[in-house]
Amino acid sequence: MKRSMKVLKRLKALQSSFSYEKTLDEVNILSTFIQVILRSLETGSIYALAALSIIIIFRTSNIVNFSQGAVAMFNTFVVTYLFNTMGINIWLAALGGIVSAILIGILIDLVVIRHTKKVHPEAKQIITLGMIMIVLGIAPLIFGVDPLRLPRLIEQGNLSILGADISYNGIFNILFGLLVMGGLFVILQKTKIGLAIRSTASNEHTAKLMGVPTKTVTMGAWAVAGVLGVISGVMTAPMTSVTLHIMDDVQLNALIAVVLGGFQTFYGPVVGAYIIGVGRNLLLYYGSSVWGGQILYILILVFLVFRPHGLFGKKIIKKV
Amino acid sequence: MKKIIKNPYLHFVLLGLILALVPTLAKMGLMKTSYLTTLGGTFIFAIAALGLNILLGYSGLISLGTAGFMGFAAYLSAYFTADLALPFELSIILAVVIPTLLGILVGLVSLKIEGIYLAIATLAVSEILKKTFEEFDFFTNGFSGKTAQYPTLLGTFELDRAGTYYFVVAILILVMLLTYNLMNGRLGRALNAMRGSEAASQAMGVNLLNHRLIAFALATMYAAIAGVLYVHFVKYSYPTIWSLNLSLNFLAMIVIGGLRSIYGTLLGAFIVFAVPDLLLKQVPFFSDLSYVLNGILIIVVIIFYPNGLVHMFTDLKRFIVKLVKGEK
Repeated sequence: MKRSMKVLKRLKALQSSFSYEKTLDEVNILSTFIQVILRSLETGSIYALAALSIIIIFRTSNIVNFSQGAVAMFNTFVVTYLFNTMGINIWLAALGGIVSAILIGILIDLVVIRHTKKVHPEAKQIITLGMIMIVLGIAPLIFGVDPLRLPRLIEQGNLSILGADISYNGIFNILFGLLVMGGLFVILQKTKIGLAIRSTASNEHTAKLMGVPTKTVTMGAWAVAGVLGVISGVMTAPMTSVTLHIMDDVQLNALIAVVLGGFQTFYGPVVGAYIIGVGRNLLLYYGSSVWGGQILYILILVFLVFRPHGLFGKKIIKKV
Repeated sequence: MKKIIKNPYLHFVLLGLILALVPTLAKMGLMKTSYLTTLGGTFIFAIAALGLNILLGYSGLISLGTAGFMGFAAYLSAYFTADLALPFELSIILAVVIPTLLGILVGLVSLKIEGIYLAIATLAVSEILKKTFEEFDFFTNGFSGKTAQYPTLLGTFELDRAGTYYFVVAILILVMLLTYNLMNGRLGRALNAMRGSEAASQAMGVNLLNHRLIAFALATMYAAIAGVLYVHFVKYSYPTIWSLNLSLNFLAMIVIGGLRSIYGTLLGAFIVFAVPDLLLKQVPFFSDLSYVLNGILIIVVIIFYPNGLVHMFTDLKRFIVKLVKGEK
């Protein structure tokens, strides 16, 4: 995040230095715009992965997972540890992070979530809060308290599109995010596993009666959510340093994206996340570099007043 | 005689007197003086949690904006007393009224949204407030943090740490009494009916939006009171304090302690804030793990005691009675 802000600031300075030449200026406006959009798509895909991870848990376990960011942070630390301390290749380290995400996801489901069937819905969210505390407590014991660095997956190389620069890593992030999400949606819509997940999401009890192994589905959902989390974490890490709070910002925007998109569909939050990614950067650059994010939140709040269930949400009519 | 003992108001006052003994015990050397700060802080957080308990327990609405409003009040009070040199009484009133008005404004806009949507909408409000704390240097001193002094009552009585502690306890008991009265009066009945069935209560003439708004305003007011007390008891305020984690901690307190229970809220605040400091850090091996243990405690309580720990006492009593009778 900080890094993209820095780039934006530099671009702004660059733009003002050229402003006396009209032709250059026009080219510059276009290229800056493209640059901002590309950056937004990159952050958008990070938010979208996190938002998807939250909605998968919500739909299968009926829990708003506040610990999503914390668990993603922990797994990002695992990647950083594998890379820095053990000296493993970054790609293999990322793979290690994915394995640990799957294991932790399964562990969370087996140890905690499986035993919460009778718990009050509000109390379930508090359970994820307890998990945040556990993760935040354990992480410094294992990985220490110093901020660590994690390099990009693709170290160097820039691509120039109409005068706008984007690193290969940025393009990789955008494409890989889309690929992962596209793959998940294909699985959700076209395969038998997807059918099981969707039927669990729409009514767990009926799904169970129809022979869907809902327990396994829920466990799988936690594992997949963990993997999505660590991918977004590895994408975020090079922009800042790996600390206990690396995912806070992503988590917040992902939660707001889920609300913006609505809790009823799988694709809504993803769309919401890209809207937030693009809207936020546009406001930061063309509006106010300090208040851009806040203005966006206010706009979303106003939007929610008119559509209280989000972009794609439907009002559930209760019978008396 | 029995009537007097069973009088709930008396219980609150008695509790206040017991809590007020702590500084004396500390002076006598029976307790560490640092406990005073921890306990005072716990009571302050309990006040904000009580407000949230009205909102969540009685009207079933979740707010994640408690920390933002609390921080807003804290900064206001610090600004009024330190920069504008207003008397403490005036600044406490202003610092409570302004956030409450803001809360009503937010409530008017956002109470049409329900459930988890409302929670995250209030979270967005809280984040906007937090950003304001970071950016408005002249008012909040930015990241370096704002300092405040112990309160001076009526312009003459300068309180020290113990004095402020008494003040906090007094306010806590007053807030508990107020909550007890409100929740056993018309408002509490209306909110209870709403929670049972919105349609039925509407049919009985309860205005849903009005009552939700009142509950939301009360929650904000309590948070503001807690914020003012916090900044004058702890004497500093940083933007990072007023984050999502604090709001989540308030939720944890009322769920652990027990929804719709005044004593439960206090118990919850004690478990979430004081137990890691007072008990777990004393045990050598556990000192690093206090945060972890607290997390485990929260999960265990929710899974095995979903109604809140405050019901443990009645259950225990019943169990003992059963045991005694069974032996006979």
